[in-house]
Amino acid sequence: MTHAESHDLLLDLAYGELDAVRAAEVEQHLSSCPECRKEKAALEDARRMAAPIRELEQPSPGFDERILRAARAQAQLEHDGNVGQVIEVTGSVRPLGVDVARIDAHGPVKARSAERPRPRWIVRTAVAGSVAAAAALALVVGNTLETRRNAEKVAAAHSSDFEIRVQPAVPPVVDSALRDAEAKQRQKDEIEPRGLGGVPVAAPGQEKTHDAVAQMPSLRKRGGPGARMQGSGGDAAESQAKAAANAKKERAVDTVAPAASGALEGKLSEPPPSASPPRAAESPPAGPAVAARQDVARSLAVAKAQAPMAPGVAEASLGAPTVEANAQQARHAGNYLAAASLYREAAAMRQRGNDSSTAAWNLAHAVECLSAAGQFDEARKVRDELVRSYPSETTAISAAARALRQVDVPAARPAASDPQR
Amino acid sequence: MAQERTDEELLAAYQQGDPEAFESLLRRYRAPLFTFLLRMLGDREKAEDLAQETFLRIVKGASDWEHRARFQTWLFTIARNLCVDQSRRDRFRRADSLDAEGRDGEPPMVESVPGTGIDPERGAASARIRPLLQEALLSLPAEQREVFILREQAGVPFREIAEMIGVNENTVKSRMRYALEALRKALAAAGVTEEAVTEEPVPGIGLGRA
Repeated sequence: MTHAESHDLLLDLAYGELDAVRAAEVEQHLSSCPECRKEKAALEDARRMAAPIRELEQPSPGFDERILRAARAQAQLEHDGNVGQVIEVTGSVRPLGVDVARIDAHGPVKARSAERPRPRWIVRTAVAGSVAAAAALALVVGNTLETRRNAEKVAAAHSSDFEIRVQPAVPPVVDSALRDAEAKQRQKDEIEPRGLGGVPVAAPGQEKTHDAVAQMPSLRKRGGPGARMQGSGGDAAESQAKAAANAKKERAVDTVAPAASGALEGKLSEPPPSASPPRAAESPPAGPAVAARQDVARSLAVAKAQAPMAPGVAEASLGAPTVEANAQQARHAGNYLAAASLYREAAAMRQRGNDSSTAAWNLAHAVECLSAAGQFDEARKVRDELVRSYPSETTAISAAARALRQVDVPAARPAASDPQR
Repeated sequence: MAQERTDEELLAAYQQGDPEAFESLLRRYRAPLFTFLLRMLGDREKAEDLAQETFLRIVKGASDWEHRARFQTWLFTIARNLCVDQSRRDRFRRADSLDAEGRDGEPPMVESVPGTGIDPERGAASARIRPLLQEALLSLPAEQREVFILREQAGVPFREIAEMIGVNENTVKSRMRYALEALRKALAAAGVTEEAVTEEPVPGIGLGRA
């Protein structure tokens, strides 16, 4: 090795960046070159003097907080387009006598302003012992976060004197992170813009509608819970879907108000742990609970009409994306029990289609929804089923565990290459 | 056991929706990244802001990340670029800039206080030297400072530094030599001798990982 070569490599040697062979070559040159030895000694002196630079400094204690919040929200967005995790915010809900609301971003979708569709924070309250209040509050708070105007509409609709002040505990920077992420997600999934009340708004273009309608026959054939909820199936269902798909924003907003009161009253009178999906067409409209169901059915019809066909879905699980879309829709509307049922149904469909990863995630979502509804025993059962059936789906299991506030996640490592979607 | 996963495995798990994987990455890199920015900027508050911003950009960009570059390189590239931006913003207020080498005039401000509370294990000599070192660092031209800190503190190899800042490796090493020599002189002028610092050089973080 020449002197020039060796001299060039002295830094690499000092920082351990040379492989053994090259290092030996340089060392050999050093033994016969006083100039290089001097240079090397000077480098090492300087490094020793500068050693304190390597000592680590710690940022202040609150450093991680907003990063982790953004990370969790983003992780959930990555998975199903929902903002995940339950996030504490301060809020004040006078009629319910609670001061702190807990916001579940899986709640209804919000649009902060008409011209700027916003991320899907929102909302549930996990007010102990008051599932019904939580459900109602979910919608109302959600709307409060969206626009004052809309919140007033909702409040007026069931003539309660609600005064809700919620400060989203989301710093602007996280918010913008989510906004970007959601924009990306929207591009990816081509999900329609969502209306003010968390109910999807019909796409201006027609292709979507055609696509949606084209899916209907397969829905009818499969006769899953989605189809049942649709009510009648057949041509009626198709025309209903069409009508829903053509609905305008105003209609979507209108849907919210009775749904909110329905969530309140309906759940008060009927709090089963695993409510089966509502069947709008099978019972005559009588009382607010039924009215609420019809609204659920209607919003589900909208969801169905707009459910994008997941790419590359095996023939065997043709209906699963639709059921999942319905589940998501129900969840957004705050109908956690219905959503949980649908997710479980979708999980079964995915399992039949041998898509255990998606099946596991559906179960995880069911756990989240059941937790959101306060049905923790049922949530644990589903969680156990998830762990039992898909022990290798550790990220889904983690999600379920978090929903139950249990971070004692099993030890198995998720394979880095395992495709989630 | 999560600690045993490589950065890249953790990021892949996070891409698949596991937020805990990201938490592990954050735990692993919060102090090194913060320290890097602190050494670069000499200001705890700014360093913390930019460190948070760096992690938030990782969060946002995670879905597009491909396993070509190391996570660590990505992380420090973001942080370094934020430093450049910060430096541009500060140009009107400060004589020191990453793009304006060796600017004339006022000595750089040293706003940093050396840590809140000194770790007793760090040793008295080291605690005494660190403020001097920080001052000497801030007196370096910014392009030398970033190379020096990336290599010495963040443990990024020369080749990766060259990729990060868009110059060739020889330029990086040349800046490194100047930086080392300038620091040695500055510390000697401040009365620091090499005997005062007893620690042996240790590799920076990141060496040998992934």
